Order: sequence, then C-alpha cells, then structure tokens
Amino acid sequence: MPPLLNIAIAIVIAAGVGLSSAWLAVERGNIFGLVRIGDWTASPETGGPDADPYAVARLARTGELPLGAGEGLAFLAESDHDGEPLQGDCTYRIVGQTPAARLWTLTAYDRTGRLMTNAAQRQGFDSRAILRHNDGSFEIVASPEVQPGNWLPIATPGTFKLILRLYDTPLTTGTQADSTMPDILRERCR
Amino acid sequence: MNRTLLYVIGGLMLAGIIHIATVIMIPYFATADAYSSMRQFGRDGAFHVLPEARAGHEPLVDLDPQMLYGVCRFSLEDGPIQVTADLPDTFWSVAVFDRRGRNAYSLNDRSAGRTEVDLVVITPVQMAQLRRNPPEELETAIVVELPIETGFVLLRVFVPDDTMLPRARDALATADCSAML
Repeated sequence: MPPLLNIAIAIVIAAGVGLSSAWLAVERGNIFGLVRIGDWTASPETGGPDADPYAVARLARTGELPLGAGEGLAFLAESDHDGEPLQGDCTYRIVGQTPAARLWTLTAYDRTGRLMTNAAQRQGFDSRAILRHNDGSFEIVASPEVQPGNWLPIATPGTFKLILRLYDTPLTTGTQADSTMPDILRERCR
Repeated sequence: MNRTLLYVIGGLMLAGIIHIATVIMIPYFATADAYSSMRQFGRDGAFHVLPEARAGHEPLVDLDPQMLYGVCRFSLEDGPIQVTADLPDTFWSVAVFDRRGRNAYSLNDRSAGRTEVDLVVITPVQMAQLRRNPPEELETAIVVELPIETGFVLLRVFVPDDTMLPRARDALATADCSAML
C-alpha cells in the first residue's frame, strides 16, 4: 500500500475513534463513582471538588448545578423496574420509601431535561405535601392522564426522566446501608 | 500489509491522546456552562434572584422547581468576599462553586444552626496575609478557604407553597456577596 494511504488511515482512525469516544463518554453521562439503589442512580462525586474530567466536561456542556455534600444528593431514574425506558404515554406507579432525608422532592423532566407544561401546574412533589399510607410509605402516579391521589402529570411524546432530590441526607456522608428507594412500576400504556 | 497494521495501531494510540485532550479541553470551549449562563442575570459581585423555574421558563437547566434560587458570580482577585443573608426558617443551602461548576463548599440551614448566613470566601494566600492582622469579620464568619479565583455562590431556599414565595424572594434579594472590607 502506498505510504500516503497508510497515513490517511491512521489519521482517520485517530480522529474518528478519538473524537467519537470522547463525545460518547461525555454525553452518556457519569461513568465513575455511580451509586445505584433500586431503579435510581446518583453520582455523589460530580457535586464535589474531586469530580473527574468526564464529569467536569459534562457539567460544562450541560450547565447543571450539582448538589454538594452539605446539601444533599440527587437520584435520577430513566427506566422502570424492568429496565424499560420511561415512556411519556405510559402510566407508572412510584411506590415505597425514600432513604432518610430532612426533605425530598420528586420532579419530572422531559428527555432534554426541561420541565413539562401541564394544566395542573404541577412539576413534582415534595415530602411535606404528599399523601402517605399509614406506614409512611407513599404512592405517586406518573401519568399523562388525570389520576386520584398523588398525580404527577407527564406531558411529552417521548421518554421522560425523574429526579428525586434528597436534601440533607446522611447518604452524602457515605452511610447508605439498608437504604431503599421507591420502585417505578409500569401500569399500562396508551 | 504489516505496515498498514502498524499505522492502524499508531492511529489508535493517537486516538487515545485525542480522546483525553478533547475531554480536558471541553470546559474551555463550553458556552452553556453554569458560570457563563449566569451572566444573563446581571452584574458580578451581587446576588440575583432567579425567576421561578416553570415549564417553558427555566432560567437554568436542572433546577428544582420547588426551590427559589439566588446566584452571585464572584472574583477573589481583588480580595476575599463576604456572603451574608437572612434566610427563612425552612430548608435552605449555600453552595460555593468554582469556575468549572464544581461544588467546592456547601452547607444547609441545619448545619449552619441559624438562619443568618455569614460566610467569607478567601484564597489560602489572602488568608495567610490576613492571619497577621485578622479583622473582626473573621471572628464570627464561617471562613471558606478555596484556591480559586472566580466562581459563583448559589443559595437555594425551599418554597413549600406560593404563600412562602415573597419571604423567600425578599431574603434572596437582600443577600449580599460583595468584597469584605
């Protein structure tokens, strides 16, 4: 093979593989230091001063404001209990308990991380404004259709995501033994 | 053929270097990072209350709509800054971020133990100079020593319902983050 073609192959591989792998690593989200509890994941280190270069690149691209260790921890869910992506035309029951926290909020965002417009003017719930069962557990229904009880309206044609933010939680100091997160159970789809 | 394989391997090694360089360079070229986005709210060295996060009107990404936010971009180049605020008796937190959006320091109302925030953000060099002749402010304030030049302070106040909104907004509007004198 002529040497020029060889050099061209090397350059194409270097640029193609190098750039695309960097893009994937940053776009796919946090890779290191993930904490997974049930259907939810959090990356406590993203909020800290020791964030890895991928997390820093991601912060720069998205403009997110991570919660610091003194504030709390945010858990993200993009798929249900069976591992299927959360679909905007399906109804989900979010049932169970949260780990210990002085305050938590649950918020629904569309695929791009934007809040969704809905007639009820409701974007989420907080731990103080929620109806609970006698044992302290709760049930939130995320659905495009009006629901009795704790209804979290969803209004997006695509997939959506849920963020459960635990404010002032012992989880940030590393004690996460026997912590449970609510399950996200799919009910039915339109 | 062997020679081509050699070039392929060389290309892959170069790809590794490009990968690392790209990831490290991204923050330097980003325009939508938190610090840059906050310029829209007003001048540096003062707190600005963010409009409530509502669908279609989100001042920044990834905001909790149940919180009201105040932000202040600061620079320590001309000396330390003092962050003061009198916040409502509910959940709130103060966080100091560096230029890259990393959370360098944070505390909440419970760990502060009172509703007044009094925080001095200072570089280690400035701290070493001040130790010789410490001003009164340093005695009562929480001193946050950070090796950063620029960054921003973020105040979050939990707003359980709209009746609490005016109190939270007043508190954030009167918060201060000017130079420590």
